[in-house]
Amino acid sequence: MSELTFDSAVIGAGVMGANVALWLARGGMRTTLIDRGEICREASGVNAGTLTLHMTRAALIPYAMKGRALWLSSQAWLGADVGARSASGFSLAFTEAEEEMLVKRAEARSAMGAPIRIVTPAEARAIEPGINPTIRAAAFCALDGHVTAYLTGRGYRAALLQAGVALHEGHGVEGIGVSDAGYVIRRCGAAPIHARRIVLAGGVWLETMLAWLGQHVSVRCLINQLIVTERMRPVMRSVVGIANGLLSLKQFENGTVLIGGGWQGKGDPIRGGIEPIPDNLIGNIQLARHAIPALGETRVLRIWLGLESETEDAMPMVGPLPGLTEAYVIGCVHSGYTSAPYIGRLLAERILGREPEQPLFDPARLMKPRQEQA
Amino acid sequence: MSAADLIIVGGGPAGVEAALEAEAHGLSVILMDEAPQAGGQVYRAPPRAFSGAIQRQADPIGVRLRDRLSASRVQQFFDHTVWSVSPGFRVDALGPKGPVSYEARAVLAASGAQERVVPFPGWTRPEIVGLAGATIMLKSQGILPGRLTLVAGQGPLLLIVAIGILKAGGRVAAIVDLASRAEWLADWPALASRPDLAVRGLAWRAKLARAGVPILYRHAIRQVEKVGARRVSVTVGPVAANGMPLAAPLRGFEVDAVAVGNGLTASTDITRLLRAEHHFEPLRGGWAPKLDAYYRSSVSGLYVAGDGAGIAGAAAAACDGRLAGLCIAHDLGTVAEAEFRRAAAPLRRDAARARRFGTAMAKLMALRQGQVQAIPPETVLCRCEDITRAELTRAVGDGARSLNQLKAWTRCGMGPCQGRICGDVVGAVLVVEGGTREDVGQFTGRTPFRPLPLDQLAGDLAYADLKLPPPAPL
Amino acid sequence: MIRFFFDGRPIEAYPGESVAAALRAAGILALRRSPREGSPRGSFCWMGLCQECTVVADGVRRPACRLEVAGGMVVSSGAVP
Repeated sequence: MSELTFDSAVIGAGVMGANVALWLARGGMRTTLIDRGEICREASGVNAGTLTLHMTRAALIPYAMKGRALWLSSQAWLGADVGARSASGFSLAFTEAEEEMLVKRAEARSAMGAPIRIVTPAEARAIEPGINPTIRAAAFCALDGHVTAYLTGRGYRAALLQAGVALHEGHGVEGIGVSDAGYVIRRCGAAPIHARRIVLAGGVWLETMLAWLGQHVSVRCLINQLIVTERMRPVMRSVVGIANGLLSLKQFENGTVLIGGGWQGKGDPIRGGIEPIPDNLIGNIQLARHAIPALGETRVLRIWLGLESETEDAMPMVGPLPGLTEAYVIGCVHSGYTSAPYIGRLLAERILGREPEQPLFDPARLMKPRQEQA
Repeated sequence: MSAADLIIVGGGPAGVEAALEAEAHGLSVILMDEAPQAGGQVYRAPPRAFSGAIQRQADPIGVRLRDRLSASRVQQFFDHTVWSVSPGFRVDALGPKGPVSYEARAVLAASGAQERVVPFPGWTRPEIVGLAGATIMLKSQGILPGRLTLVAGQGPLLLIVAIGILKAGGRVAAIVDLASRAEWLADWPALASRPDLAVRGLAWRAKLARAGVPILYRHAIRQVEKVGARRVSVTVGPVAANGMPLAAPLRGFEVDAVAVGNGLTASTDITRLLRAEHHFEPLRGGWAPKLDAYYRSSVSGLYVAGDGAGIAGAAAAACDGRLAGLCIAHDLGTVAEAEFRRAAAPLRRDAARARRFGTAMAKLMALRQGQVQAIPPETVLCRCEDITRAELTRAVGDGARSLNQLKAWTRCGMGPCQGRICGDVVGAVLVVEGGTREDVGQFTGRTPFRPLPLDQLAGDLAYADLKLPPPAPL
Repeated sequence: MIRFFFDGRPIEAYPGESVAAALRAAGILALRRSPREGSPRGSFCWMGLCQECTVVADGVRRPACRLEVAGGMVVSSGAVP
C-alpha cells in the first residue's frame, strides 16, 4: 500500500473532522486528515466554546448532553486539557414577552432531557450575584460550562498523531474522483491521496465539497460575532444568556469575559468573516452589560467573526451520502462544538460498521436535484 | 452620521499634508487622531496648558503644520480614538463625548509607526522605556526617563534620545549601539542628501564626546536586573554584525533608567483589518501594505501614506502625504489629468529625495536575525500575557506554524496590546524556528484598534430601546 | 501645580502633563502587575499602544500615558486582582 493510500480520508480538520479521524484511527483504520489550513483554525478554534443546553436546539439536547460530558472528561480520552470547565447556566428574562419565551423554551428543552427549571430572581441572584437585579425570571441549568476553544487544535493534534492519523495541514483539495478502489482526492500542487472511504467535514464549505461528488445541498453561512474583554475581577461564575438566545456570556479563569450570542457580521465562505458591523458590536455589549452590569468596568479587546454552517431545516447533516459507497458527511450541527466529540464518534462508529448509540441525521433529506441549484 | 469625501486617520506629517492638499483641491476632508493636537509622534505638540519641569520649545516644523491646519477648512477630530474602519467606508471612533462614526468615499490610513524592542531578560521592568517613548517623555512631557539613563538599541533615535537627555539636564551612562561605526559611515551618501541633518549629527556626536558619554558600537543589552530600590544593573556585551552575542568582554552599568529600541515598524491596523495585501520589506520595518504609485492599497478607495506604508521617516511622510492627497483628489475627480501631472512631478521628486534619507535610517533600524535567535528561552516575548520564548518553542514543537495558530495555542498576542508590541519579533522568532515570514504571516487584523472602555462604548440605554435581532431557533 | 491621587497617595502634577509623566516624576514607576508572573510594569511605549501603564482613573481603565491629569482625579493601579 502506498504512502498516500488510506482506509479512510477525512477532509476538513475542524473539531468534527478531527474527532471522526481520531476514532477511525483508534478503531484500526489507516486514516488521513486533510485541511487547506492548520488544524482547528476556523470555527472550531474561534467559537465561544459554550457547553450550554439553554441555546441547544431542543431535538439535539440528548447529543449535546453527551458531548458536554465528553468535553469535561477530555483529559481521559483525548489526553489533553482544552480548558473544559463545568459551570451552571442561566437564561434570563427582562420583559414579560421574554418571560413567556423563557418558560416555553425551558419546557421544550426539559422535555428532551435538559435539567432546566425556572427560578425566581432571588434564587438566581443567590447563585449568581452578578446578574442584573431587574430580571423578571431566569431558567437555571446545573449542566453548563465552557471549553477554551482556541486550545482545541493543540489538544486534538497531539491525540491524532498518537493515534497514527496522517495529518496533511496546508493542503487544499480541489476535487474528488471516484475510482474502483474508492476515492481519489486531488490536492492543489501535491500528489493525489487515495482512500476507500471518504468523510467530508468542511463546515461552511460543505456545499462546495459535496458538489465535487455531484451532491447538491444548500448550506447557509452564519457570520457570528464574538467579543472578548480584557481580564477583570471575578464578576460571574455561571454561563449567562437571555431568553431569545442572543447572548452568551462567560468569564474564564484568566478573568477575560467572552461575549457572544450570534450577532452577525459580514463575510462569506470564500473570504471568511471579514467585517464586523459596528452597531452590532455596540448592541451586543449593551445587552451583555445589561445582564451583568459589572462588565461596564472592563474594556473590549477584540471582536472577531466565526463562520457557522446551517442546513435548510437547521438540523445536522451527519451520515452516509446517498448513491455513493462509503462516502459520508458531517456538519451543520447546531451548537456543533458542544456536541462534536459525541456526534463525531457516532459517525465513526457507523463507518466502523457498528450501530451508533443514537441516530444520525440522514443527509438524503437535504439533497436537491442539480437543476434546482441557483 | 456626518460624511465627507475623504477621512484621514492619523494627524502626523503624512495625514496633515494629505488633508491640506486634498482640501486645497476641493475635497471635503475629515482628519482624526487620538492625540489632542496634530503633529504625530515626531512633531508632537506639548500639552496646551503645560508648564512642566523642563522648558522646551515645540519643533518649528510641527508648529507650522498645526498653524496651516487650523487655517484650513479640514474638519478636525482630535482626542478621537479610531477603533474601526468598515469598507465603503465608515470610520468609528470613541471621542470625548462617546462613540461617533463618519462616512466617506475614500480613507487614507496615515497611522505612522510603532516601536520594536527585541526582548532580553528583564526588559519588562518599569525602569525600561522604549526609545520612541523616551522622545515623547522628553519632547512632550518634559520629563527625563531617569537621572542616569542607559540608551541602547539601534538607529537614529539613539542619538536623538541621548542628546535630548543631556539638553534636559540628565546624564547618559552610555550609548549601546547594535551597529558599527562603519555602518553609520556607509550611509554618508544618503545623509549628504540632507546636509542640515548631517551637520546636526556631527554636532551631536561632538556634544556627546564633550559630555564623556561612551558609545559602545556593536554591543547590545544582555540583561537587566533590579539592584536596590531605585536602580537596575544593565549587563552589556559585544555582538556580531547579525546581532548574535559574542563571548566577551561583558560590561556592567548601574542606572535608574534604560531607553531601548530596535527600530520602527509600520502600524498596519487598518490595512490588516480590511484585508489589503501586504508584503514583507525587511529594510522598511517589515510588513507593510502593497501600494501602487498613487498610494492606493489593494482595497479600492483605501490609501496609505507615511510610515504606515513602510518606514521612511517624517520628512518623507510629509512629501508622501501631500502627493497622496493630490492622488486621492485626482481619483475622486476634482483634479484634471493635465493639472495632476503638472502638480505631481515636483512632488514625486521631493518624495524620492526625502525617502533616500529615510530609507538609509530605516536600514540602520532593521531587525537583526542573530539577535532574535539569541533570545534566551526564559525571556518573556509577549508582555501582556507573560509568554516566554520557551513556551513558544513548545507550541512550535506541537505543530504551530503560523503566528495565528501560535497565538491560539499560547495566548501570545491575546492581551491588551493585541500583539502590536510583540508581533514583529515573535514573527521573527517563528522564522528562526523554521519557515519564512510569508509562511508565518501576520496576526489577523481585528477591531477595536485600541481597548475600548465598555461603559463608554455602550453608553446609557434603556433595555426597551435596545435593538435586538430576531430570536435564535428553538 | 495641581494634585491628584494614586492608590490613595496625593501626587503633585503640572497642569497638562499626563498621569504617567506625573507618576514617573514622583518616583512611581510600577503602575500595575502582570497577570501571570505578577511582575511590576510601568509606562513603556508612551503612545497608548502597549497598555502596560493601564490605570483606573475615576472608574475608567485607560493607559496613563494618554491621560491628562486633572485636579482631584482618583487613580489606582490597573492590576486585576
